Amino acid sequence: MNPPKLADQLLKFFCSPHHLEEIQGDLQEEFAYQVKRIGERRARWRYWWDVLGFVLSFASKRMSKENSTTHRTNPIMFRNHFKIAWRNLTKDRQFTALNLVGLSTGLACTLLIYLWVKDELRMDKYNEKDEQLFQVMANHFHEDDVNTINHTPGLLADALAAEMPEVEHAVTVVPASWFSSKGIISVGETRLKAGGQFVGKDYFNVFTCPFLQGDKNSIFSDNNTVALSEELAIKLFGTTKDVLGKAVKWDHEEFSGTYRVGGVFANSPANSTEPFDILFNFNVFVVKRPGMESWGNSDPSTFLIVRKGTDLDRFNAKIRNYLQSKDKKQTAQLFTIQYSDKYLHGQFENGKQAGGRITYVKLFSIIAVFILLIACINFMNLSTAKASGRIKEVGIKKVVGALRSSLVFQYLGESLLMAFLSLVVAIFLLILLLPQFNFITGKNIRLEFDGTMLLSIVGITVLTGLIAGSYPALYLSGFNPTAVLKGKLKTSVGELLVRKGLVVFQFTVSILFIVSVLVVYRQIDYIQTKNLGYNRENIIHFEIPLEMDSVKLKSAEGFLAEIKTIPGVVNASSYYHNLTGDHGAISGFQWPGKPRGKDIEFSNLEVGYNFIETLGMELKDGRGFSNNPGSYNEIIFNEAAIKSMGLKDPIGKIVKFWDRERQIVGVVKNFNFESLYETVKPCFFQVYPVMPNIMVKMQGGTEQQTIARIQKVFEAHHQGLVFDYQFLDENYQTLYAAERRIGVLSRYFAGLTILISCLGLFGLAAFTAQRRQKEIGIRKVVGATVGNVALMLSMDFLKLLLIALVIAFPVIGWALNQWLHNFAYHVDLELGVFIIAGLSIIVITLLTVGYQAVKAALMNPVKSLRSE
Amino acid sequence: MKRSYLGEFEEIVLLTVAVMEGGAYGVAITHEISEQTGRSVRLNQVHAALERLEDKGMLKSEMGEPTAERGGRRKRLFTVTAYGRRTLQEIQEVRVSFWARLLNPFKPATSL
Repeated sequence: MNPPKLADQLLKFFCSPHHLEEIQGDLQEEFAYQVKRIGERRARWRYWWDVLGFVLSFASKRMSKENSTTHRTNPIMFRNHFKIAWRNLTKDRQFTALNLVGLSTGLACTLLIYLWVKDELRMDKYNEKDEQLFQVMANHFHEDDVNTINHTPGLLADALAAEMPEVEHAVTVVPASWFSSKGIISVGETRLKAGGQFVGKDYFNVFTCPFLQGDKNSIFSDNNTVALSEELAIKLFGTTKDVLGKAVKWDHEEFSGTYRVGGVFANSPANSTEPFDILFNFNVFVVKRPGMESWGNSDPSTFLIVRKGTDLDRFNAKIRNYLQSKDKKQTAQLFTIQYSDKYLHGQFENGKQAGGRITYVKLFSIIAVFILLIACINFMNLSTAKASGRIKEVGIKKVVGALRSSLVFQYLGESLLMAFLSLVVAIFLLILLLPQFNFITGKNIRLEFDGTMLLSIVGITVLTGLIAGSYPALYLSGFNPTAVLKGKLKTSVGELLVRKGLVVFQFTVSILFIVSVLVVYRQIDYIQTKNLGYNRENIIHFEIPLEMDSVKLKSAEGFLAEIKTIPGVVNASSYYHNLTGDHGAISGFQWPGKPRGKDIEFSNLEVGYNFIETLGMELKDGRGFSNNPGSYNEIIFNEAAIKSMGLKDPIGKIVKFWDRERQIVGVVKNFNFESLYETVKPCFFQVYPVMPNIMVKMQGGTEQQTIARIQKVFEAHHQGLVFDYQFLDENYQTLYAAERRIGVLSRYFAGLTILISCLGLFGLAAFTAQRRQKEIGIRKVVGATVGNVALMLSMDFLKLLLIALVIAFPVIGWALNQWLHNFAYHVDLELGVFIIAGLSIIVITLLTVGYQAVKAALMNPVKSLRSE
Repeated sequence: MKRSYLGEFEEIVLLTVAVMEGGAYGVAITHEISEQTGRSVRLNQVHAALERLEDKGMLKSEMGEPTAERGGRRKRLFTVTAYGRRTLQEIQEVRVSFWARLLNPFKPATSL
């Protein structure tokens, strides 16, 4: 029958040793007495209660204690630890600086990545019903491929809401990003670009969009009422008050007209992937595009609020063939995914979710951990190496009675102190770097200290301090005092192995980073210079207001004709939608010899006259459009489309879609109209005289003068409009913005990793040289040259480097192969990359280590041998 | 008369130590006080009081023999010093003189 052990431990920790015996004795006697009186269980409680009483009374009077104790929690010892730590830091400035720079850069990187990851994870999570908010996706099946798109028929939302009990609310949305460009909103003289979103009447039950002014449902009262964002309202009217009922003019494709302001809503939150400035009633869209009333036309997106507790697998199974129940000709299968999940898991393979940006989030989290680890390893290596200088200190401390635990406590404390010093520096670095980081990542991350943020920062720092300090703390405290004071301490094989192991690990990570950066860069370069099947050089495009009335069309045609006469202009055309982004798709085609039950979804490229010629697309068969009113009946497919239809000798054949009949006049060679992640899909061209996006091909060399001339013509034709043009190849580059950002970021982070590793190496090499001073002296006396000695010192590190190379190459080769296979078109991994990476790390190492080695080798042996 | 003043609890502890004549140590004192006064006393309070009294020089202590019921640990035995005895006496004298000057000494109530 013993008193509770844990309570005893607690007492031991707090009680000063010269009182411990009597107090423990008293407690135990009391315990025995109480066991007899009230039974063991209650006696144990009482014991705890008594111990707590003692502990609290010690805590309150510790400060006034005169007797010194060897206790960890004694303020005098604290002061002493702190003093010794500080003296050690200031004694060897170079060492401290190396540590501080290494740790703080590491911490700053980790914190940056932490902020970025946190921001990524927050994307699209602003909706109150986030858990229940789902988007309907459609799988379209092709010959040997499944194409997953987020466009669904405009009729779907209402039908699902009416027929599916699992669906609480459903809404049709045409997001602002659906259009190739923004619209122009004007009040009086003020003209602004704005993104317009068309929403169905259940929108506010599905998405969170608080209104500051007006009634949420006002925009559904008629087709002429719109709601503005707070920002837009302030820009237009200078205030959000009294704007209800005012008129605004909207210029955008066929939706141009005058609308009445019915409300003002809070700006789209920063973590929204589809921000918008102005809300329209979806009916406006339907009125202008009657095709929306058919099940065969998939343009808008459909969002659902699914009832809580719905079995999603069952629901997905239920809606899989829903389209077929509405229209037998449809072949697409529906399924739902959580809306906020789409941002990070937005890629689909064979109709299933297959990663996406989450890969980068994971990748960068791993990089952060590695950078921190490398910084910690530096710290560990340098501290253990330095430990030899503090062996006597440890010996003396142990002789005068320091416990091992209090030494561990002291050294952990020192590394924590270092970690927090680095944190201060890191936060300064962070503040300096954040604007640049935001620029690269295209985000708007701010350093906001909230509870979780502070907790994480302190957590990361404490963890860093503990990891970095653990090895020195455990290692230093384990010295045998007699051996230490006699000066007989030998470095054990184990210690050397650990240190070498850590260096190998650092090298390995650095090599991984270098190779990855090289390959990622080559891939991005490859994508941006790949022949896409059309020529995108020297092409600018801009938008003109276009309405489908014949007078305006004629004037647009006149405008286009005039542009063609400008010197320096090679050709000009127009198109609808966006060449590098979204387009609608059409199914339900009829063609000669079409097998029963087969259907293909074709991307629909609606273009103006001369489009194929302007882009320099090559024809495989037939001819281009005749570019006159007769070409209304002509259609051109791409190779992929002809192949999937299985048409032989396609020229002259008639195809039908909707109620139209078209004759195939040509087949263009496959070209990449979407991202290179994907293979070329079937598509077709329909031609119209003129479309709202004008595209002008110019002669190389004189683009600036030509653009100035185009601007003059533009302004003459469209008074008051801003000439806002873009180069086509720039659009193309934005397609790969994510990859470019990853490329730039990984380059920076790889550079930093290498820098941090080099700092560590530098310190370690200095230390080795110092330790082997006498050996070097003797070698020189017996005739070694500076070169011999320098080589000898460098070889130690080169051996480790070679081991790291052997480990790193297979790993990174495998990982990069996986990444490259994400692209339908990609570079091959070449031996050259590995050779470059290997050579560069060898050179960097030689430079770092070599400096110290040569410095040591140049020392006068008389000096190093004389002093004892 | 210059001496440290005693708190009420300290005075009781000091008296108890005097009463126990050499057998006074933490647990025993605690039990004695709670038996005699009927109040619940915690071990750490007694220890703190003993330590204060020792600091003031009214108690002295030495380590006794280890016993089995204490898990083989020794007890600290307290005795009152001459200064402690004088202090107790002075307190008593002051009180007696006040009681003597009480004109209507309190009598136990006999009836209501």
